[in-house]
Amino acid sequence: MQFGIFTVGDVTADPTTGRTPSEHERIKATVAIAKKAEEVGLDVFAVGEHHNPPFIASNPTATLAYIGAQTERIILSTSTTLITTTDPVLIAEDYAKLQHLVDGRLDLMMGRGNTGPVYPWFGKDIRDGIPLAVENYALLHRLWREDVVNWEGRFRTPLEGYTSTPRPLDGVPPFVWHGSIRSPEIAEQAAYYGDGFFHNHIFWPPLHSARMVALYRQRFEHYGHGSADQAIVGLGGQVFMRKNSQDAIDEFRPYFDNAPVYGHGPSLEDFTEQTPLTVGSPQQVIERTLGFREYVGDYQRQLFLMDHAGLPLKTVLEQLDLLGEEVVPVLRKEFEALRPAHVPEGPTHAARVAAASDPAQPSTSEEVSA
Amino acid sequence: MTRLVVVTAGLSNPSSTRILADQLAAAAVSSLEAAGRAVDVEVVELRDLAHAITDNLLTGFPAGALADAVASVAAADAVIAVTPVFSASYSGLFKSFFDVLDADALDGTPVLMAGTAGTPRHSLVLEHALRPLFSYLHAAPLPTAVFAASEDFGSRGLSDRVERAAGELTDAVLRRRQLHAVDPYEDVTPFEQLLNG
Repeated sequence: MQFGIFTVGDVTADPTTGRTPSEHERIKATVAIAKKAEEVGLDVFAVGEHHNPPFIASNPTATLAYIGAQTERIILSTSTTLITTTDPVLIAEDYAKLQHLVDGRLDLMMGRGNTGPVYPWFGKDIRDGIPLAVENYALLHRLWREDVVNWEGRFRTPLEGYTSTPRPLDGVPPFVWHGSIRSPEIAEQAAYYGDGFFHNHIFWPPLHSARMVALYRQRFEHYGHGSADQAIVGLGGQVFMRKNSQDAIDEFRPYFDNAPVYGHGPSLEDFTEQTPLTVGSPQQVIERTLGFREYVGDYQRQLFLMDHAGLPLKTVLEQLDLLGEEVVPVLRKEFEALRPAHVPEGPTHAARVAAASDPAQPSTSEEVSA
Repeated sequence: MTRLVVVTAGLSNPSSTRILADQLAAAAVSSLEAAGRAVDVEVVELRDLAHAITDNLLTGFPAGALADAVASVAAADAVIAVTPVFSASYSGLFKSFFDVLDADALDGTPVLMAGTAGTPRHSLVLEHALRPLFSYLHAAPLPTAVFAASEDFGSRGLSDRVERAAGELTDAVLRRRQLHAVDPYEDVTPFEQLLNG
């Protein structure tokens, strides 16, 4: 099981002080948070991609390359890469280059975007959201697997005799997750390719996660990638911790009450009951997180949202200490003890290279969909 | 079993909107039973869900009793929707409830529209505000909409309109094709079909 954090890079005023960090501060804070994630023993750091204020989440490959140069072990990922509005030819180049630079410590999560206008800004139409995700990824998948591609589709210029460079490291493309809250087509897409499926999970009742993951698992098996319980599943989570749970509640409440997305709506107590948000002691976070597998099965990756809603950097770094020291070691041990032997671990480049050269290994996305 | 859901947006207690809703429900039950249908009636009082509706607008999902009400409306064979007239239209609470339903929740559902107001001058609100709303939602609004100003609660004309609307509701329920509700998690589109656009 892999544990990590994901950020959307929101620039939000700290409601307790009224102070909004500058873009520069927030960009540098993102790097500090990533380095801290590695230092406390987390496995994954993922950045979102947005192209509008109040986010600093544009140009994720520059951010990840900069972080990759200052870390040694942590897997760098995205949450999410906009497969709808980004040219798949550029995604193929950018992330293959990044994969080389960070020696394979890279995977991606495909998503469709957070705001209607992002489509016209990039010359697309939001009504084509699903067809764009389907066609663009089909091209990306080929660009990473075929040295010379001839291609024609609805949404971009045809390609004739095109070779995407650099070729993926060791001939093994970055692992891909597909993220969606409630579009069954995306669970179907992940299953078809034998790719991973990630459910954001946060801000929504777990029922949605359970239904989407169940569909993905069933279709993963249908497409012959393995049994349903061998499908590669990731989940989001959202926590705020202090040793004493009442301290956590008191400290987090003003951030909760004023947060983008859900602020000024339900109470903290209602929202923690209705969604996976957990505010309390590390022990409470451990218990709640272990409960996720009861409705999605044994899964491979757990990412937490730790740095949104205006929480100051110092607080976020303290949260990462608690996560790395008190929560993840216990979760790692407990989840590992529960995982049956035939259920795969989280994807790594090394394991995928080994699997690609061993025909006895179960298929992942390499051989199935061409 | 015919599932009849009554959505009523009155705010006071007692509420003339609720009184009208109850009259319409009773007339619809009699009419449906006379046509041989057993009827299950559920009343959704939006006042009780007002906080949850606001939360849903902010979070994007219904919680608790609102989730149950949303599911009931989506599963209804017919809906009676009654609003007070506020500032020349449906009340904000009434509209907000229909705003948080899934886009296809009322597909083909017969809807008996009704409204109350202090003055008969508002009577066309049902035609220029509610009817377009339910048409947009692909519901099947009945030809007769029942408007009651305060003075109508003492007149025979109101109960005649209630009877006529109840009859139209029964006809619409009997005519309604039993739509197979498509569950996107059960009837997934195969990927090859998605790839071929």
